[in-house]
Amino acid sequence: MVGGISVDQIVTALVAVIAVPLVLFGYIVVGEQIIERLPERIQLWIRPYFWALPAIGFAGLFMVYPLLRTVVISFRNGADTDWVGLANYQYFFTFPDTLTSLRNSILWLVFYTFFAVFLGLVVAILLDRVRYETLAKIAIFLPVPISAVAASIIWKFMFDYQPPGQPQTGTLNAVIGLAHHDPVAWLVNSTTNNGALIFVGVWTAVGFCMVILSASLKAISTEVLEAARIDGANEFQIVRLVVTPLLWPTITVVGTTMIINALKTFDLVYVMTNGAYNTDVIATQMFSQLQHNHNSRAAAVGVVLFIAIVPLLIVNIRRFQQQEEQR
Amino acid sequence: MAEVLGRRSSRGLALCLGALFLLAACGGGNGGGGGGGASSTDVTVWTAWGSAELKAFKDVLAPFEATSGVKVHITTNRDSTNQIANGISAGTDLPDIAPGPTDPVQVKDWISKGALKPIETALGDQFSAYIANTYPALTTSSGDNPYIGLVGGKHYEMMVKTQVKGLIWYNKKVFTGQAPKTFDDLLAINPSQYGAQKLFCAGFESGAASGWPASDQIDNIIMRQSGETVYTNWIQGKVKFTSAEIKLGYQTFLKEVSAANVYGGANTALSTNFGKAGDPLFKTPAGCLFLEQATFIPSFFTQDFPSLNLKAGTDFDFFAHPSMGNSQYDGNVNGFYDNFAMYNNTPAARKLMQYMATKDAQQIWVNDGGTLGAIKSLNYTDPVFKNAAAVAGGAKNLLVTAGDFMPSDMQKAFWQSLLNVTNNPGSLNSELAHLDQVQAAAYKTS
Repeated sequence: MVGGISVDQIVTALVAVIAVPLVLFGYIVVGEQIIERLPERIQLWIRPYFWALPAIGFAGLFMVYPLLRTVVISFRNGADTDWVGLANYQYFFTFPDTLTSLRNSILWLVFYTFFAVFLGLVVAILLDRVRYETLAKIAIFLPVPISAVAASIIWKFMFDYQPPGQPQTGTLNAVIGLAHHDPVAWLVNSTTNNGALIFVGVWTAVGFCMVILSASLKAISTEVLEAARIDGANEFQIVRLVVTPLLWPTITVVGTTMIINALKTFDLVYVMTNGAYNTDVIATQMFSQLQHNHNSRAAAVGVVLFIAIVPLLIVNIRRFQQQEEQR
Repeated sequence: MAEVLGRRSSRGLALCLGALFLLAACGGGNGGGGGGGASSTDVTVWTAWGSAELKAFKDVLAPFEATSGVKVHITTNRDSTNQIANGISAGTDLPDIAPGPTDPVQVKDWISKGALKPIETALGDQFSAYIANTYPALTTSSGDNPYIGLVGGKHYEMMVKTQVKGLIWYNKKVFTGQAPKTFDDLLAINPSQYGAQKLFCAGFESGAASGWPASDQIDNIIMRQSGETVYTNWIQGKVKFTSAEIKLGYQTFLKEVSAANVYGGANTALSTNFGKAGDPLFKTPAGCLFLEQATFIPSFFTQDFPSLNLKAGTDFDFFAHPSMGNSQYDGNVNGFYDNFAMYNNTPAARKLMQYMATKDAQQIWVNDGGTLGAIKSLNYTDPVFKNAAAVAGGAKNLLVTAGDFMPSDMQKAFWQSLLNVTNNPGSLNSELAHLDQVQAAAYKTS
């Protein structure tokens, strides 16, 4: 035993790390030798399949199979012994707790996506026009690489609440205290808690949106903007009628990514409230079902989440294909 | 690609691969790292203890390892119940000794599968001494009681530690009055008489487990108000949350956290971490007179106020939870306990179990502080633990903490309901109705 991990486990891990690539390598080396001996015509036909097979195999084993299995489990009972039809879905769409999580996910979807993309766009456009652009971008991008758990803990301190009359250790309550306003229990109060959580989400995402949109903004040729100015457009008109339409493909990609992030939101909510005071979202709901041994209900939640995300994936893939064609 | 590699290198590669497969086969063969045979020299133990608790356990083990020649391999594993459940269904190696499960259904299931070995077998002729020495509430019951591992007349969990909950802590410099006999007497105390702002402090925040301190408070009310039968049936899902008894428990709990009685109001109780809940006891002027919490809380007091150099017994103390006015239930005490269960009947495992049941072993444990032993007659130098031992010894029933023994979705809903009613007392009826809904779904084994 080495700190709770047995030597066996270390050997197994090493074998897995070394053996799997080696086996793949061996498959290619040995397989190529066999293929080389085949007639030219068959070689040409079989080689792509031979090379693609491991990738397809891995994708099938680790992505397609679990996906199908999840769908199957969602129609089974918790112990996976009998079919229950749509009972798990019926539970999801009728139980008050899961409905609250559905409502909150929709709040996340609308407000998180809108504010992250909108603020990202505004910041990208404004910073494009100032001299200290790099510095400001770094500041806005800083929250992006912070793990969501760390961000949650930072903001838990920011939202901290002390009784009225006591020194406020939470930054936000200290600030509103300066205006002689009573402290607000941000994460407890049902009118503020979802907003507070979404705000933290936006805080971690604006930098990402800004960077992508800014890169796209730089790609707009200055001649187009010059032409617009010569035609007498003011700066607002340029942003609204020239820049935004040119950025639209990027905005769509960033927007769909944000929608997917919004639907996947888990760690912020889990760390800051764990769903208390009606802050559960779909992903935390899925996790708690799993934790409470309701595997099939968790699977149903997962399937619902997956179905919600599929159209967005299709939009994103289409967009990539269009961009490929344009090149 | 193939040409570049050449034939020689591919032969070498094949050799390497062969060697690796052999290694993998060897690695897989004796995996698990569990017992592996009836060892008389090695014993594997899983515990949930870390840091100070783990150090105390190692201190307890030191003389055993030195004299018996048995080597104890400890793994801190906070997910041991799930892993053992998986191990039992997969037939893989189990640790020799680990805590028994808390879920009564699981206790019976594991016993029926032969995974848990009787303590009678583990202790042999020391068994009667174990029963005689240990707090009766932890070992005896009229009929089966899976909560203490007593099934079919046999014991499957050996108690090694205990803590008492529902103690009312106070600052001795502030509260100088007599301990109230009943809950009504407690509520009648006027805090301003002692220069404190409010009667109670409370702190229910505990990260993802927020709400448990509130659940301790309501547990202590219900078990003394409506008795052990209602309490246990409620844990098992046989009493509804909308029943008169549980609703009365909630209503009584709401008196403890009402705006008039709790320091800083509901927002403070809900936003304050349980470890900081007692801080206002020691502020000047005092924010509150009392904090209800378990035996472990003094370390938080001393840690939060290093400059005051707080001493247990002289600066702060506790009194036992007052009666809820139903004297037949006054002997119900809320506690929790750590148990050892034996999963492999090996000579070394038996030796360790026998050692852990001795007074000598448990005395080392309590000397390190922070806990009560399971044996009645230990010597406590800390006055607080000495008093807590008296509370445990005087208990007619040492009852478990309700939420911990409910299905986990019930537990989470129960904890959160206490937060919600503290936040908005007007929502009590709808919260209870919702809990009934969760209860109906949670106890159904689908």
